[in-house]
Amino acid sequence: MILRGLRRAALFFLALALVAAMWEFYIVVGPEKGGEIFGMRILPRANERAMPHTWEMLQRLFDPEVRGQDRPIWLAVLGYSWYTFRMALAGFAIGCVFGMALAVGMSRFRFVERGLLPYVVASQTVPLIALAPQVAALGGNWGLPKWMWVAALGAFLAFFPVSIATLKGLSAAPAASLELMDSYAASWWKTLTKLRFPAAVPYIVPGMKLGATAAVIGVIVSEVSTGVRGVGFAALTYAQKATSDPAQVYTAVFGAALLGLSMFGLVVAIEVLVMRNRPAEAN
Amino acid sequence: MTVRGVPQAVISDAVVVDRVSMVFNEGKSNEVEALTDVELVICPGDFVSLIGPSGCGKSTLLRLIASLLSPTSGSVLVNGKSASQARIEQDYGMAFQKSGLFEWRTVEKNIELPLELKGWGKAKRRERSAEMLELVKLSEFASHMPWELSGGMQQRVAIARALAAHPPLLLMDEPFGALDEMTREHMQAELLRICAASQTTVVFVTHSIPEAVYLSNRVVVMSPRPGRITEIIDVDLGSDRDEDTREEAGFYGKITAVREALRGAEAVAGPRGIEDR
Repeated sequence: MILRGLRRAALFFLALALVAAMWEFYIVVGPEKGGEIFGMRILPRANERAMPHTWEMLQRLFDPEVRGQDRPIWLAVLGYSWYTFRMALAGFAIGCVFGMALAVGMSRFRFVERGLLPYVVASQTVPLIALAPQVAALGGNWGLPKWMWVAALGAFLAFFPVSIATLKGLSAAPAASLELMDSYAASWWKTLTKLRFPAAVPYIVPGMKLGATAAVIGVIVSEVSTGVRGVGFAALTYAQKATSDPAQVYTAVFGAALLGLSMFGLVVAIEVLVMRNRPAEAN
Repeated sequence: MTVRGVPQAVISDAVVVDRVSMVFNEGKSNEVEALTDVELVICPGDFVSLIGPSGCGKSTLLRLIASLLSPTSGSVLVNGKSASQARIEQDYGMAFQKSGLFEWRTVEKNIELPLELKGWGKAKRRERSAEMLELVKLSEFASHMPWELSGGMQQRVAIARALAAHPPLLLMDEPFGALDEMTREHMQAELLRICAASQTTVVFVTHSIPEAVYLSNRVVVMSPRPGRITEIIDVDLGSDRDEDTREEAGFYGKITAVREALRGAEAVAGPRGIEDR
């Protein structure tokens, strides 16, 4: 168990080192002013401004956000990320509850599924960047605090995979088990809570993994278009200073990556918890 | 009511099947006449096997008794009530070929499922599941997960679950069909012991002739197309059946009788897969 944990940690750092090595390798061999392939500008410029060295990025973490401050930027980024994390978590939670409820409704009544499913799918094709300001304006009218509607937009992306996975899972209960519940004259609700939902769990968990990352993306994108000061907003502000301080934007990228990993880790923890008593092939 | 074999069916009978017919997809091009004019009376304490080739409607008949299906015509009484009322009151327990245990529940929690649905309190449930586990000799596996158990043990848990609420009737649909021969014979002996201890009436669907003969005091032979009862054979091997019973002439005699009844049915409907082992 411990050995496996150590090996996984070692692999994680090995992969990280590999990415860093590739980055540095490209800086050395990449074209200074970028390059074209088949007439399209595809290869990024390998100069210092576009691609700062990895060690510069790391160094930058310990310098202040703006000159003259005492606080190193990693603390500031951590603060932004923590704010974004809480919004993403709220969005994820709302998305899970809403997504599962929707799936239960769709599995209960076929006409709900037929009527609603196309809209559920269509909802995911609406560009978030266009939707965010609208929702922000609406939330403003209702006097809701800003973070709430950013979280709502995270939920908007998170509910979809959870909902589809739950819908699939709810129909996965074996026919023999359903017949058994029938022989007990069990109500629809009892059959749902005692059989259909527990049987759906192995399907719901992967949906939640997708939903968690979707919530993070939703929240970060919404920050950018609504001006809520989380890590997405920080990345945007830092990017505007890329010419004078190219390494700074990567500190926000690190923050966002850490945040995404934390969300994912949270779902994995949930998975370990709910799947601990399941047979190995379902794990 | 005049029913074959038993002249006067009384309300205290465990199961009364009265002129039941079952047609699937009635009026459509894929209409199937699964059962035609079936009459059967099962007395309390009986162990009745339904045997016949695939498609003879034996599982359908079991599901009609369980009220998982409703007959196209005729009526089914269980414990003197309509079959659907008996289902609502959980007057029977059921076991299938697949144990159908919930993999997320421990063995004892699986056995407690019907009791939960009846609204029993936790302490009472635990007491009963302990009692049932003792009956099927799996007490030390109470807190194991079902998938940690062998197929035969899982099937014993399923039987314990079916009997947990102490129903007067046990309905079984090829419960040992997926087990190997040795386990199967052992399970048959166990089932007889359990049923004798709990005084349960059993309706048992199988397509194994020795299994039907060894377990039952009456073997109901069915034939397909349309599904109907062709013969009811009384078996009396005594209540103290053991492994030696399988070697006795009386046992072989009854096997031959059932086989000939099935052949007679086949002569009408054509051959189909029956296990002769």
